Amino acid sequence: MSASTTSHRLYKMLFITLLLVFALVYLGPLYVMLTTSFKGIEEIRNGNILALPDTLNTSAWSKAWSSACTGGDCYGLAPYFWNSIRIVLPAVFISTVIGALNGYVLSQWRFKGSNFVFGALLFGCFIPFQVILLPMAMLLAWLGLANTVSGLVLVHVIYGVAFTTLFFRNYYVGIPSELVRAARLDGAGFFAIFRHVFLPLSTPIIVVSVIWQFTQIWNDFLFGVVYSGPGTQPITVALNNLVNTTMGGKEYNVDMAAAVIAALPTLVVYLVAGKYFVRGLTAGAVKG
Amino acid sequence: MGSIKIQQLTKSFGDTEVLKGIDLDIKDGEFLILVGPSGCGKSTLMNSIAGLEDVSSGDILIDGNNVTDLSPKERDIAMVFQSYALYPTMSVSRNISFGLEMRKVPKVEIEKTVADVSQLLQIEHLLDRKPSALSGGQRQRVAMGRALARNPRVFLFDEPLSNLDAKLRVEMRSEIKKLHKRLGTTIVYVTHDQVEAMTLADRIAVMKDGQVQQFGTPYEIYNNPANRFVADFMGSPPMNFIECVVLDGKLVIESHGEKFELHIAHGERLKQAGVETVILGIRPEMITEPKPHVEGALVHSIPMQVDVTEPMGPDTIAFGQWNGTEVQARLSPEVGVEAQATGLIKVQVDTSKAVLFDAFSGARLDA
Amino acid sequence: MFDYLEKQLPKLIMAPTAIVMLVCMYGFIGWTAVLSFTKSRMLPQWEYVGWAQYERLFANPRWHVALDNLLVFTLLFIIIALLLGLMLAILLDRNIRNDGALRTIYLYPMAVSFIVTGTAWKWILNPGLGIEKMVRDLGFTDFEFRWLVDPDMAIYTIVIAAVWQSSGFVMAMFLAGLRGVDDSLIKAAQMDGASTLRTYWHVILPVMRPVFFGAVVILSHIAIKSFDLVQSLTGGGPGYSSDLPATFMYTHAFSRAQMGLGAASAMVMLAGVMAIIVPYLYSELRAKKS
Repeated sequence: MSASTTSHRLYKMLFITLLLVFALVYLGPLYVMLTTSFKGIEEIRNGNILALPDTLNTSAWSKAWSSACTGGDCYGLAPYFWNSIRIVLPAVFISTVIGALNGYVLSQWRFKGSNFVFGALLFGCFIPFQVILLPMAMLLAWLGLANTVSGLVLVHVIYGVAFTTLFFRNYYVGIPSELVRAARLDGAGFFAIFRHVFLPLSTPIIVVSVIWQFTQIWNDFLFGVVYSGPGTQPITVALNNLVNTTMGGKEYNVDMAAAVIAALPTLVVYLVAGKYFVRGLTAGAVKG
Repeated sequence: MGSIKIQQLTKSFGDTEVLKGIDLDIKDGEFLILVGPSGCGKSTLMNSIAGLEDVSSGDILIDGNNVTDLSPKERDIAMVFQSYALYPTMSVSRNISFGLEMRKVPKVEIEKTVADVSQLLQIEHLLDRKPSALSGGQRQRVAMGRALARNPRVFLFDEPLSNLDAKLRVEMRSEIKKLHKRLGTTIVYVTHDQVEAMTLADRIAVMKDGQVQQFGTPYEIYNNPANRFVADFMGSPPMNFIECVVLDGKLVIESHGEKFELHIAHGERLKQAGVETVILGIRPEMITEPKPHVEGALVHSIPMQVDVTEPMGPDTIAFGQWNGTEVQARLSPEVGVEAQATGLIKVQVDTSKAVLFDAFSGARLDA
Repeated sequence: MFDYLEKQLPKLIMAPTAIVMLVCMYGFIGWTAVLSFTKSRMLPQWEYVGWAQYERLFANPRWHVALDNLLVFTLLFIIIALLLGLMLAILLDRNIRNDGALRTIYLYPMAVSFIVTGTAWKWILNPGLGIEKMVRDLGFTDFEFRWLVDPDMAIYTIVIAAVWQSSGFVMAMFLAGLRGVDDSLIKAAQMDGASTLRTYWHVILPVMRPVFFGAVVILSHIAIKSFDLVQSLTGGGPGYSSDLPATFMYTHAFSRAQMGLGAASAMVMLAGVMAIIVPYLYSELRAKKS
């Protein structure tokens, strides 16, 4: 750059300061959530939203977990946390397995119409779910799965497979088809090739798919609120109920503790495996 | 035993016909090379023989058995791929034995085979490595090892040397030839490099646009090309094609403003057939500096205006013009220097091996 | 026999997915479409009423509020998120060596549910105890920030929360795009004597056009689908002043026993999404072919 070094350095400092300020802004809500959750009610009413708590009062946390009221029931978030786990784990596993096999077929075993199927799947990733909400409710009722955890698992698998298929297909397309030909000559069949050649190569994309699906399903609210009933709701629905239920005065500290509890699993996943997450976002969202 | 008979093979992808009726008779133990420009269908033919592609019509017989409907696994064929296609997550040893593993060969036998094969190809020290830790030449050997381990009836090689650098290519070429001599198994080998074709093959099938243009020994292909395409494709530097007027059974060469007559082997027939123009096909090595020769009507001395020379080492290619066409001659290095300096030299033209083509269709006239 | 099965295996594997997709995506869309032409209320009633539901829809003041809100929200959301994301990406690119920590901070909001986001911002923007109180405590005793309960301003709170959640993603996309710009292009510009600003404007940004379009498509997709955030931040209120088509659809289809109307609103939402996605996919496919 032709500018003098001092003005260059000044600019750089300005930029870095700006970046740090923004970092603080982005961290703001998390900070507020955490600090509020450790305050007492009086402290909240009298104090400042940005102030640190006087003491680390954990009563809001235990209440949020085990005794806060979410609509009619007052069992805290705990039972709904486990509901979410029971929904997420099978749904992530099943949709990933199906997506992997689909991606394998679409990338290496092209048949007449396979491109069309892929296009139709891809298209389906974009539809607003409002258009399937009503008929899906009918289907679940017909299958006897209305308001059940299994029903939600089914819904998440059905609409997650489009994404996982996309991930795996785009990844497997990068594996040279000569490998498949060599394996066929070696006498390996469809599943043998998948098991011995593709699966060992799949770790990166499995991680991406699992993290993406985990985040999407854990954070889902729409399907949760429409297809669950009392007792089978996922944690997002329970959180919303908790916050909107006011018995007596509003307990902001409990609300915030509950919000952090609901956010914790996906936040932890993000912090631990963040770069795979980003790769999943940009790969799945940008590619066509 | 590994003879292959291909009968009336056609293959279309949708509306495009890639193989238009191939007939080939490959003898057991033969080293056959399929050669031709990109898009000629040689890889498709290879894949069809392997069973990796279905055919549209026609038959493939191996040792008299019709394998057209059999899967690759059942045809007992092994293939070495252009990019080697080694399994990236498996060790060299497992890469070699995978095919045997799939065929449920007993473990003891597998171990012995891997040991034998790796010894033959001098890759024993690489057995535990993964393909990513190997050089190009080593990967090539592992690919060959994988094919050898299967002890098939036929080996297919799909441009196995094109990813290697020039020196390695020459080395591997002779290794493959030695291997063939030692094993005696039928080899079908695809390449676009006609030098490879000439040096390795027992017989060559030259392909263009989905058809076999000529099928014969390297000698036949080189000296008796079936049509202009084959003549042009094989041989480096390529054959000269000079359009000549026929005068009284002799060909007219116009060089440097003057006209000269060339006698040719079938001059009388040409005269009687009343042909007025032909394309003379004559290889650069038949146009040289004046050399000791047997006196005869077919050896001529003609001047040549040299535009450019290309010193190759053992000889020098000189570029000149006759009948308005660029002509290449092979001169000794010394004469080459002289030609570059003076620009005008006398060359000896030997038409005993020249061939004639129809000026319009490119078909051989004097076969 | 087994050979035939083996050959058909790929198709057999895809079949369940293909069938399910056919039914659960395209079939369901058709079902909803048909429903929108009936007079269904609490339960589906298969009596054809033509465009009646759509007419009711567009005569409904609440729907108009939802559409207006969608327009305002989408425009503001996209523009601010783009600018913010671009700015952060440009600042990060070439200025910081270990930007991993900063990138993690800008992106983490995407990891949490929109419900959590709504809950947090609902508290932050709480009139009386949130930002308003904080600024007042700093001495500005007349400061007012009651957007959350102001029917005219409620929609803007959703913009704020949505930008906080999604701008990090835009930044990530732009950063990836910036890092993908060929170094030789930049060097050529430097040799030509261009200042940093000019280099960005004339050389780098034009190359980023596809990233812009990709970001716009994704952001508008997020905007149109916005449901969770509205439910948790404002509940659509005060009243229905911060309603969006997604919340309108949900309320009418499920709470208000207006299936036909809800179906019609869903179809309109679909049309809106298609209007953006279809041209985009089409142009992408054409670009790939050429």
